[in-house]
Amino acid sequence: MIFRKAVQYIFMLLLLAFLTVFLLLPLFTVVGEGCNWELIAEVFRSPVYVEGLLNSFAVALVTTGIVAVISLALALLYDRYDFFGKEFCPVLMLLPMILPPFVGALGFQQLLGYYGVVNTILTQCGLERIDFLGGSGKFWSICVIEALHLYPIFYLNLITALGNIDPALSDAAANLGASKLQRFFRIRLPLLKSGFLAGGSIVMVWSFTELGTPLMFGYNRVTPVQVFNGLHELDNNPLPYSLVLVMLAVSALIYLVMRKLLSTPGGTAAVKGSMGSRAEKLTGWRRFLPTAAFAVTALLSVLPHLALTGASFSLRWYDTVLPEVFTLEHFDDALSNPLVLPSIVNSLRYSALAMVIAVCCGTMTALISARWHLRGAWVLDLLSMLPLAIPGLVIAFGFLGMTGEYAWARAIFNPVENPLWLLAIAYAVRRIPYVVRAVGAGLEQTPEELENAARNFGAGPLKTLGVITFPLIGANLLVGALFAFSFSMLEVSDSLILAQKSVFFPITKALLELSQILGSGAASASAFGVWAMAFLAVTLISAGILLGRKIGAIFKF
Amino acid sequence: MASVLLENICKSFVPGKPVLDHLFLDVKPGELFFLLGPSGCGKSTLLRILAGLEKQDSGTVKFDGVEISSLPPEKRQAAMMFQNYALWPHLTVFENIAFGLRIRGKKGSVLKDEVMSALEAVQLADCAERRIPSLSGGQQQRVALARALAVRPAVLLLDEPLSNLDARLRDTMRGEIVRICREREQSAIYVTHDRQEALSMADRMAVLQAGKVSQCGTPRQLYELPANRFIGEFLGDINFIDGKITDGKLLTSFGNFPLAGNSGGAVSGAIRPERIKFVSGDCNGAFEAEIIRETFLGDSGEWICRAGETVLAVKEMAPPPRRIGEKVFLAFEPGSLLAMK
Repeated sequence: MIFRKAVQYIFMLLLLAFLTVFLLLPLFTVVGEGCNWELIAEVFRSPVYVEGLLNSFAVALVTTGIVAVISLALALLYDRYDFFGKEFCPVLMLLPMILPPFVGALGFQQLLGYYGVVNTILTQCGLERIDFLGGSGKFWSICVIEALHLYPIFYLNLITALGNIDPALSDAAANLGASKLQRFFRIRLPLLKSGFLAGGSIVMVWSFTELGTPLMFGYNRVTPVQVFNGLHELDNNPLPYSLVLVMLAVSALIYLVMRKLLSTPGGTAAVKGSMGSRAEKLTGWRRFLPTAAFAVTALLSVLPHLALTGASFSLRWYDTVLPEVFTLEHFDDALSNPLVLPSIVNSLRYSALAMVIAVCCGTMTALISARWHLRGAWVLDLLSMLPLAIPGLVIAFGFLGMTGEYAWARAIFNPVENPLWLLAIAYAVRRIPYVVRAVGAGLEQTPEELENAARNFGAGPLKTLGVITFPLIGANLLVGALFAFSFSMLEVSDSLILAQKSVFFPITKALLELSQILGSGAASASAFGVWAMAFLAVTLISAGILLGRKIGAIFKF
Repeated sequence: MASVLLENICKSFVPGKPVLDHLFLDVKPGELFFLLGPSGCGKSTLLRILAGLEKQDSGTVKFDGVEISSLPPEKRQAAMMFQNYALWPHLTVFENIAFGLRIRGKKGSVLKDEVMSALEAVQLADCAERRIPSLSGGQQQRVALARALAVRPAVLLLDEPLSNLDARLRDTMRGEIVRICREREQSAIYVTHDRQEALSMADRMAVLQAGKVSQCGTPRQLYELPANRFIGEFLGDINFIDGKITDGKLLTSFGNFPLAGNSGGAVSGAIRPERIKFVSGDCNGAFEAEIIRETFLGDSGEWICRAGETVLAVKEMAPPPRRIGEKVFLAFEPGSLLAMK
């Protein structure tokens, strides 16, 4: 027994070492490189960088605001009522996540461009064209498209939190004379704080550090794009490191402030023994009202993707409401571009490797936290969740800094020679939280007594894992693997920063390059994006069906 | 069948708050031994230590005189019937029972015969291919018992196995467990907080209090001669009578009565309600009392009576009608008033 415990501790130490080298070390590298007071002062002296920070913060604030409104309304409808088509909502909610918003930006431009669909409709109605994407239009477009992409994360967190509120708590308030509104504001809303914190902090940090969408819109006065543009002169000018450090500090501050504002002491105890929520059955025409709300929101969020699909199949879609000439030419063009096929192969290699690493590390972490009861396991759990709170751009920059700073890192992970392991590990580290949460949720739902029973009847630890634990949490393992793989396939920050030679480009970097080719570039990129969209759709819908309502737990910090 | 010896077992989850405190216990081969105690007294922890699912902080566990403290759960030959059954939902009834047998190298027709034999013992032979979630609570309970019995363990551990059943099924299962254990001469340790279960099924039993064995013996010994107030109360209704104790006698406001047992250090007398009889006034040892409350239970009745300053509960089978306020005479059965510490 002592030997087994020792083996378990060795596994934990190995995982801690892995996360120290590939999460903390990149972070410290960024901090080390960027922690130059002169350069940090320079960041705050430069009106361009200050404007970038303010714009990024404004994007984060507005995006989170929009997301909160949409998500709260939909989550309350879902939780409170039984309505027509409710069973399809979990899958519908995943639709907006089909593509990273930076690809959706291509479709958004098709919709709101000066000669896009909306302006064509306006002129057909005898109205003037509006430059939606000019001036502050870009800012609002970025906020809207990011909100339409990110609201499912917030929504799923709220749904999970609502599911944990015992209806008896509200009943007790009603019993003491509280009105519906009083019950909502005094009972349900305070108990939802954990959902707001979990969803809100992820959405805010995500939108604060989002690189792809502003890049696609050419909105350069935001910090992530300024950091990305600074990459080219990194050898002469280390200022981007300081910029990243400032970004990291602001992200941490956002998280801390939200935690301070939304922490609920004793919240867990309040919902102990939860009976789950109780939905009211709507009848007649009313049962279609929530359906309509869900459908309209989903339609709005997939409109950019629909537009992207339209653009990929059309030869001409300019100053018309619908595409005019349909063709498969763009798919041909996309595939014949020398960047595309290798990028697919590259992404498959990076992502498959990332998935294996993330699943191994994530599963082991979940087992250590939920089953092995080792001292100090909380450190591992906390460390494995850290990537959710740290901007991808920071980690990517950290990896880049590591290859410059340490000879061993340069020898193994040189991004110029072959970024396979560098990208696979960078992808994996950021996907470990999803695997930990997915597998952890499975372990929490599976009574430990089932494994104890197997041990009691003579099965060793490995046999128990293979015959009892893994079959029982198979769906969760699969979902964790699917998330790790699909999010790696369309990862932006690491891909744009760490893949430096075209021969090593993954899909996202090839998409960016394609979209910047003058002429048919955008159409080819759209065609390429449609393929990616179909791929992620299959993955996420499978995950949604497998996990149902519990899928929200995956996006919880 | 194996003997079980626990010596000086200590276990605490929070430093300074022992769940088990230098506990000793000796279970004989083939014995159906009950561990009885209130919630939190450490009885389930003790069972898990026996199964190897918890590690004691100190002390030794021996099966048939062989120290097994350092053995992992899978090497202990102690099959447990878990409180919540712990049946594997992804396996059929047959596969659940076959699990332990396969690990012990059984296959083919031998495996099948042993599984079916275990299922027949719990009268579930026709459920072999059913999935666990499709079974009722009672059926799941019996599958859990069959699974534990199928591996023919040296010691069978039962952790409140009947706690989730309705009263009728519980009665049936009590009989089944006793029958199977007797037939197989199976050493079994049964944890419960239900005194009726323990008194009706146990060969011997131990009452746990604050992590220690308060008293160990046959059900009759514990019921009739409880070692202290706690055991007396825990095993059934009991009257405690305060008074002065002199020369083995309890001096009260309504009479003086001889005490059974060692009265040294005793602080009161104790007597079970069914050991107090309604008698006529001229009966030897009779004392007068007034009925202040009556509870009619069909085949029996319970009266609360006041004798002097003392309130006594009295139980009687097939009781005649009596009215509140009626003056009656009561007497203690000889040797039934215990000296209680």
